Amino acid sequence: MPHVDLTIEICGMSGDGTIAAGALLNGALSRAGFSLMAFDSYPAEIRGFGRCVTRTRVGVEEMVALTSETHVLISLDDEQSLSRIPFLARSATVFFDNRPPSYVPEGQSIAAHVEPHITLLGIPFGNLAAEATGTTRGRNLTALGAFAGAFDLPSEPFHEVIRKKFDPKGEKVAQANIKSFDAGVQYAREKLDPSIRGILSLPQKTMEKDDRELLSGNMAIARGALDAGLKLYFGYPITPATPIMEYLAKVLPERGGRLLQMEDEISSIGAVLGSFYAGSRAMTATSGPGLSLMTELITHGVMAEIPAVIIDAQRGGPATGLPTKSEQSDLHAAVFGGPGDSARIVIAPTNVSECYEYTVKSFQLAEKYQTPVIVLTDFFLDNRVENVSMPHAAPEEISDGNVYPDPALKGHYRRFERTESGISPRSIPGMEGFIFTTTGLEHTEKGIPDYAPQNHMQMSEKRHRKITGALAELPVPKEFSQKESLDVGVIAWGSTFGSALEAVRKAEKKGIRAGALKITSIFPYHADSIRGFMERCGEILIPELNYEGQLANLIGHLFGKEVTRLNRVTGEPFPASIILKKIESLVT
Amino acid sequence: MPGPHFVVIGNGPAGNEAALTLREKAPDARVTIITRNLGGSYRPHLIPEFIAGNIPEKGLFAVTPDTYTEKNIKFRHGQRVVDLDPEKKTLTLDHKEVIPFDGVIIAVGGMPRIPEYLKVFEHSMLTLKTMEDARRWISTLAETDSVLLIGGDLTSLAVTKALLSLGKKIYFMLTEHAFWPLRPDEALFAEVSDRLACKGVDVISGKTLEGLASTSENSFIVRFDDRRELEVGMIGAFFGLAPDIGFLRRSGIRMDRGLLVDEYLCTGFEGVYATGDCAQIYHPELRDYWVSIGYANAEVLGRTAANNLLGGKDQTAVAAESIFEAEGINVNTSWWMEF
Repeated sequence: MPHVDLTIEICGMSGDGTIAAGALLNGALSRAGFSLMAFDSYPAEIRGFGRCVTRTRVGVEEMVALTSETHVLISLDDEQSLSRIPFLARSATVFFDNRPPSYVPEGQSIAAHVEPHITLLGIPFGNLAAEATGTTRGRNLTALGAFAGAFDLPSEPFHEVIRKKFDPKGEKVAQANIKSFDAGVQYAREKLDPSIRGILSLPQKTMEKDDRELLSGNMAIARGALDAGLKLYFGYPITPATPIMEYLAKVLPERGGRLLQMEDEISSIGAVLGSFYAGSRAMTATSGPGLSLMTELITHGVMAEIPAVIIDAQRGGPATGLPTKSEQSDLHAAVFGGPGDSARIVIAPTNVSECYEYTVKSFQLAEKYQTPVIVLTDFFLDNRVENVSMPHAAPEEISDGNVYPDPALKGHYRRFERTESGISPRSIPGMEGFIFTTTGLEHTEKGIPDYAPQNHMQMSEKRHRKITGALAELPVPKEFSQKESLDVGVIAWGSTFGSALEAVRKAEKKGIRAGALKITSIFPYHADSIRGFMERCGEILIPELNYEGQLANLIGHLFGKEVTRLNRVTGEPFPASIILKKIESLVT
Repeated sequence: MPGPHFVVIGNGPAGNEAALTLREKAPDARVTIITRNLGGSYRPHLIPEFIAGNIPEKGLFAVTPDTYTEKNIKFRHGQRVVDLDPEKKTLTLDHKEVIPFDGVIIAVGGMPRIPEYLKVFEHSMLTLKTMEDARRWISTLAETDSVLLIGGDLTSLAVTKALLSLGKKIYFMLTEHAFWPLRPDEALFAEVSDRLACKGVDVISGKTLEGLASTSENSFIVRFDDRRELEVGMIGAFFGLAPDIGFLRRSGIRMDRGLLVDEYLCTGFEGVYATGDCAQIYHPELRDYWVSIGYANAEVLGRTAANNLLGGKDQTAVAAESIFEAEGINVNTSWWMEF
């Protein structure tokens, strides 16, 4: 089977149907049996002027990161696509509309800018769509068809995804889109040089149905929450978390739950705490600005020992920051944000499967340890699409996580009893004989406000003991390395881990003794495991999409010397090539 | 202040040489090559050797795209000029991009020519001009043992040699159009026939092709006017090249079968030159136009056009009787007056 590892970009202006074409491409390639990872970038404005780019890395092996190079660029708007030229691989192929609506001066066509070694394919996208359907509206589909035709990809998977998308709008609409697509295929097959074909060879299991699903991080979170028995969702829309709410708004009521859009994030977290307090699993999803508004009530959950599940879909910050850009700069806020010593559980998935898995897990953790659990994702992880073998939560993973009081204690119940584990048996309001009071003030084991120095010492220690104990149930760091002794160890979290792993694999191929450590339990963290890895490494490199090196600040002290920080705040996913370059510089 | 923008249309031997000369002699100028073909500048006379497997594909290229980049020549390949306005000094590309220029050299060469009476069979015949053609020849030859060559231009003789080296059975149908646009006399005609026959080629002369039927993808039945039939695996057509200048019909540049230029290769419009196979060049002594064919001549003409565009006054150097050597046969060129 030939090696396939290509990155395909579609670039256009808002309104060109760029994102829609990218989604169809992903769906078709997935159905055709390829593995893929895809990510869209688009302007912050809801609609208007701005560049839209979809990136799809496609191959036959599992994809852990995007690449910096683009092998195929489909330009729906040349002016926008010019910015993508620096990223084209030497052997890239560029498709562009060679019959734009009007004449353009020199330099405004992408044809004026591509390097000679790049294959430039002019296809009259608009004209072909108009001839096929009477309107140029389907030119994005024609472009997709030209791509499929040029590379000899079968039309069936594309037809299937087009039908799936447009059938709900009626047969006429679906047919028009298929005609637009077919016009591109036919043109490419008849007019283009056959020698460019065959770059995308199909894997042997082409068209075989497997259990993989095309899923974004946000969708995986929503599905995980549903499978975990989510009953109530409260939220306020914010990029990049909104798709979770949009999906749940449709599906949660069908599963007997309820979703309510609140007036802001403060009321959202308040309602989540109230739901859990009353015994119903609830969740909210937000981003950095929303998390900061929730801070006081999160600490209330810590003090009053009320569970909550909060998804923080990180974006560029601070403040309103960069709403549609990727960043990992909420770690400090998630772990330390808020007044007082308010330790809570923070976990961070690194891929789409883990988005599902850790969302499921967060409900049990929240219930058992009676504390807010923050799931940290980021714009890239939320919006990127992978075709994954969808995990299904086992019954024990979604079962009730509450530690209930011993019935024998009826009438003698101490809600905040200082147990050895720090976990106090939890009563749900309404349980006869287990009445308690709750408050955000420091309190006694019975929940009575008490500011006595000794009590505050003891209760603080109890709450932290509980969180420390949760470590036993949190995912341990996972190491990826071939050698016992490593010159460079790369420690990464969130979406950056995929890039780190790709860089390490490339470094290994170059003969460098490198290894990667994936950290998903951000707080509490597995200090012993991390230290054990660090001790086997000559240098520790921590790449992060933030300026301050927030994970390095948290765990860097475990290394005997200074860790090497690699920080970027470009708003883009961390390029593996830059991590590789840093690894190489550390061994020379 | 930016230097002038010079555009060369075509990157065959003439166009390539013109661009390199412009780059060398006008270092401040912006030089752009625009060509409909993909890839660097190849040596068309070596294509038969490539087909025979005697040289690798990369050996065909005189200049690669990277060379243009290194020399700061903007190389736009796979892009077609569809219109040229010599007064406004703009040209328009197929994708509707309008490019201004200060000077242009038209060196588009020719396209394989099929005589009108054979056009009906055109889809069954392979021509040989571009790299794409060459690849098609190679893939088709892999599936067949016998080839019918029709026409008989200079390229066809080199192809004959290549096919013989591959062990193919060759039928060569010499027609009245052989060596077009040259005018072979009977003696030359006979000499070519004899030499081909000596090498084992089955020469068919004095016959007209009347019918052609395809029995499968690589099998053709050819019927002649004497009712004789011949079964072959593929058919190659060699009737020379016709200037590829259709896109200039609305430009106002004077043209006959080629673009009419003075002895300095100027079209009559300031800064607009034509050179190579697509030009018909005025000869002051003959008071008529002539055409040049052949790789070496094309390079000289390309260089001359570039020098003159830069203000030179070079006349095209040509002997009254240039001689080409092809497969041991001396072929006299003739003035191309019948155009």
